[in-house]
Amino acid sequence: MIGLSPLRVDGREKVTGAARYGQDLKLAGMLYAKVKHAEYPHAEILKIDTARAKKIKGVAAVLTAADVPGNTAFGAVIVDNQPLAEDRVRYLGDAVAVVAAETAEIAEKAAAAIKVKYRELPAVFDPREALEPGAPEIHEGGNQINHHKTRKGDVAEGFRQADLVIERSYSTQRVDHTYIETEVVVASLDHDGTLTVEGSHQNIFSIRAAVASFLGLPLSRVRIVQAALGGSFGGKDDCMSVLSCRAGLLALKTGRPVMLSNSRESSLIESYKRHPYFLDYKVGVKRDGTLTAMEIKVVADGGAYASMTPFVTWRSVVHATGPYRVPNVKTDIYGAYTNNTYTGAFRGFGSPQITFAYESLMDEIAGELKLEPLEFRMNNILRDGEITATGQKLDHTVSVGQALQAATSAAGWEEKRRRFSEENRTRLLKRGIGLACSYRGVALGAEGVDATGAIVRIQSDGSIDLTTGLVEMGQGLKTVFSQIAAHELGVPVERVQYRRTDTSTIVDGGPTVASRSTIMGGAAVRKAAIAAREKLCAAAAGELGADPAELTAVGEKIMVASDPDRAIDFTGAVALALAAGMNLSSFAWHVSPPIWWDEEAGKGNAYFTYVYACQVAEIEVDPETGKINVLEVWAAHDVGKAINPEAVRGQICGGVATAIGYGTLEEVELVEGVTKTVNLDEYLIPTAMDVGKIHSIILENPDKYGPYGAKCIAEPTAELCAPAIANAVAHAAGKRIRDLPLNLERIVLGHKLVKKQRRAR
Amino acid sequence: MIPFNFIRPASLAEALDFLAENGERTEIIAGGTDLLVELRGIPAGKKGPKWVVDISGLPELKGIREEGEEIIVGSGSTHWEVHTSELIRETAPLLAAASATVGAAQHRNIATIGGNIMNASPAADTVPALIALEASAVLRSREGERVRPLSGIFVKPYQTDAAPGEILTAVRFRRLPAEAKSAFVKLGRRNALAISRMNAAVVLFLRDGVISEARIAPGSATPMPERFAAAEKILIGQKPSEELFRAAGAAVAAEMVDRSGRRWSTPYKEPVIAALTARALREALAG
Repeated sequence: MIGLSPLRVDGREKVTGAARYGQDLKLAGMLYAKVKHAEYPHAEILKIDTARAKKIKGVAAVLTAADVPGNTAFGAVIVDNQPLAEDRVRYLGDAVAVVAAETAEIAEKAAAAIKVKYRELPAVFDPREALEPGAPEIHEGGNQINHHKTRKGDVAEGFRQADLVIERSYSTQRVDHTYIETEVVVASLDHDGTLTVEGSHQNIFSIRAAVASFLGLPLSRVRIVQAALGGSFGGKDDCMSVLSCRAGLLALKTGRPVMLSNSRESSLIESYKRHPYFLDYKVGVKRDGTLTAMEIKVVADGGAYASMTPFVTWRSVVHATGPYRVPNVKTDIYGAYTNNTYTGAFRGFGSPQITFAYESLMDEIAGELKLEPLEFRMNNILRDGEITATGQKLDHTVSVGQALQAATSAAGWEEKRRRFSEENRTRLLKRGIGLACSYRGVALGAEGVDATGAIVRIQSDGSIDLTTGLVEMGQGLKTVFSQIAAHELGVPVERVQYRRTDTSTIVDGGPTVASRSTIMGGAAVRKAAIAAREKLCAAAAGELGADPAELTAVGEKIMVASDPDRAIDFTGAVALALAAGMNLSSFAWHVSPPIWWDEEAGKGNAYFTYVYACQVAEIEVDPETGKINVLEVWAAHDVGKAINPEAVRGQICGGVATAIGYGTLEEVELVEGVTKTVNLDEYLIPTAMDVGKIHSIILENPDKYGPYGAKCIAEPTAELCAPAIANAVAHAAGKRIRDLPLNLERIVLGHKLVKKQRRAR
Repeated sequence: MIPFNFIRPASLAEALDFLAENGERTEIIAGGTDLLVELRGIPAGKKGPKWVVDISGLPELKGIREEGEEIIVGSGSTHWEVHTSELIRETAPLLAAASATVGAAQHRNIATIGGNIMNASPAADTVPALIALEASAVLRSREGERVRPLSGIFVKPYQTDAAPGEILTAVRFRRLPAEAKSAFVKLGRRNALAISRMNAAVVLFLRDGVISEARIAPGSATPMPERFAAAEKILIGQKPSEELFRAAGAAVAAEMVDRSGRRWSTPYKEPVIAALTARALREALAG
């Protein structure tokens, strides 16, 4: 079962349309909610006049921050995000009021009838300007959300040893998750006063914490349930807390169920995005290609609220040098508040930005030294037992070299590098091939406590209930967890039913983030399933005349491992256990191995293990129009052990497609805080015709901390293709583009095409 | 979406009768791929059309046929019908190519060539191809029919000179002779489901190795699609060559700037329309 690819357990319901998504929820007496958004990116609220809105027939409630019974702000790291703005609006996605009415149309009319008096405040839209003295202050205490650093060796000495010091600046853009399903919740009160919020949730426990705090309810009276989820990619966290707080407040005040959902426009304006980064790299290198020092300064645009900025930028600071042996490192990363749409978690979580910078840079340095990019990397990459930029000794198989070899040899790298350069002299459309590699800390790392649980319940008929606090969001978690339980219990996957994720059925096991589900949740499922199996073995031991330790569960039987003829049916063993009064429900808890981080010193064992990867992109670029065609991508990822290889390939294809969009097309354009790309006619994501052929290369170096040796796959897939494309464009056309995305205009002009704007304020 | 009355006439005559009375406050819907987006964009409380007349089922607007040397494309023909029509592929391959690039398959199955024309977007894919074919628009009202050169019906972006009582019933053009060379080249940001960033339609006639007639219609270059005479003139009487095509491309770029002025997007569009034009000419010649 481990290493096989059974059909997705949630495949049928999704392809037949049976799956029930948030928008499908209809409760008796349900009201529809609409939000009144801010009218300035930064303004003091002087007066909110809801009188006209309240008079409209069919309006059940019009609420503002004044109606909030609990804390008006929430935040997982910094408590600053107000689902209903209290005295100030800080970006145009803020809400000043929320309306519930009999129909969505009435609610929209009522929201439009709310009149708000503002005093406009000076605003700031560039995070670098926001950090300067005298910049308009967005939150009390200044605009710096955080400053993380790493320190290793002595960079001044490192630069002295260098034959060449190279300085380059890169920037990345704001992008949207663009899940097919926009955000939606339905809040309702149970007869016992428990508030249930069902919807398109990614992280049910952090949402519960926000709702309970906002409404002044104990955690035990708030229940968050996940509906079938139409994509998330890190995106349905804080913004779902916001929707849940607003809808929960309306449900509490009206006593009726309330649906609140975002249109695509609202989603693009209101929900958080991936951080734009401004990155300055200074690198010392010897003539033979040995790296001597790296000094890195990064400013991240956090937008109006901190959200995950402190953690996103911490992941960036740990990985900022890339998977290279650098003796002297000084990295400083700042998160800054601005009056832009806030930024937060997005598949990759601070890695796509830095990978774009350091992998573009590696090619640039190789170019300066007249070295081949692959050879230059092979000479500098981390090897087994070496020390990272944060001072961590790597005690597992360091496979970045293996990944580089696997991807480049599958791609025909050396021959194509030579041949394309030759052929491009006479070709109108230029061919190029580029690569990028990375290392990535698995799971939460030193962000915080990393632990999660699972419950395996064997029913009297031999069917199995499996419950964890981690959610399916398309990545295949239900299938992989079901496989693990089925494997340990020796039954087919069909016997296992993965329960809907619900905060009332399991303890808080943290969020479904950081590519932690298989390694953390999978380990918990495995432990719970083993515990359940041991009970069955104990029950069957007498009947089989064997010691429980001699027994195993295979092929729907409990059998003597050394003598498979001595066996009883799985259901027979269940009956024996129940007759003996045994509890066939097992709960297991899994805690991550120890890690540490010294924020002051900028050092630590940041993650308990890492994954390594390389992607190669072959592209064709039209230098006359700027059009890039991604022809083929080879993606080599060390996953430790592929529990479900087909799901791993699915993750790779999805991550590569996301990164192609990031690299060549996507940008949420904000002008003075105003979102210009408010629907999918302007915010373009790649179609199936734009992603080329993707070759997945699965590498397996089992990790001692992972279940069956498995590590992770979700996020590393999304952090490599943008720099691989940028490097391929440089190879093809001799154009080095240091700003994302590499769209038509940047390829032709070398810079972004900017519409002349009236410079207001 | 704002409320409106939905009218589905059984015949063209019935539709024209209705429009004669109510044309001023009526929108015509065929495939709806542009109109529905527009209607949804009207905020609640704002005025929209009182009536929407659905002409998608009218048999009089269907069909692609030839009449002598002329090809007549019913305005209700979908892009799928146009780009898979053997007749169009044979007599106007650049139009088939243009229809094939509109939107995605779902759009091409429902959106019509008439809608593409009457929406009057500067980025319409089929319009430059039709202008290069010297197509005429057939406009019918209850009072009768008028036939105008297609390039003459555009007043400004998203507006034609069609009267409120008129329906575009067909476009017609002379079939390209087998020896004519033509091409439609489109640049979109994506390989599917992309609006033209720019496009170019060209038709060339050669006699004894010399260009005897040239038609160049760039798209997304000017507020209204039209032919670029100065560039065409450069080609006439000349033997095709890379230098000549580049010169024609440069002339198109210069003419675009003359007509549209220098805008924020000109630094990009100027070299690109030159390149696309040269490419279209090259592709046309190569057949």
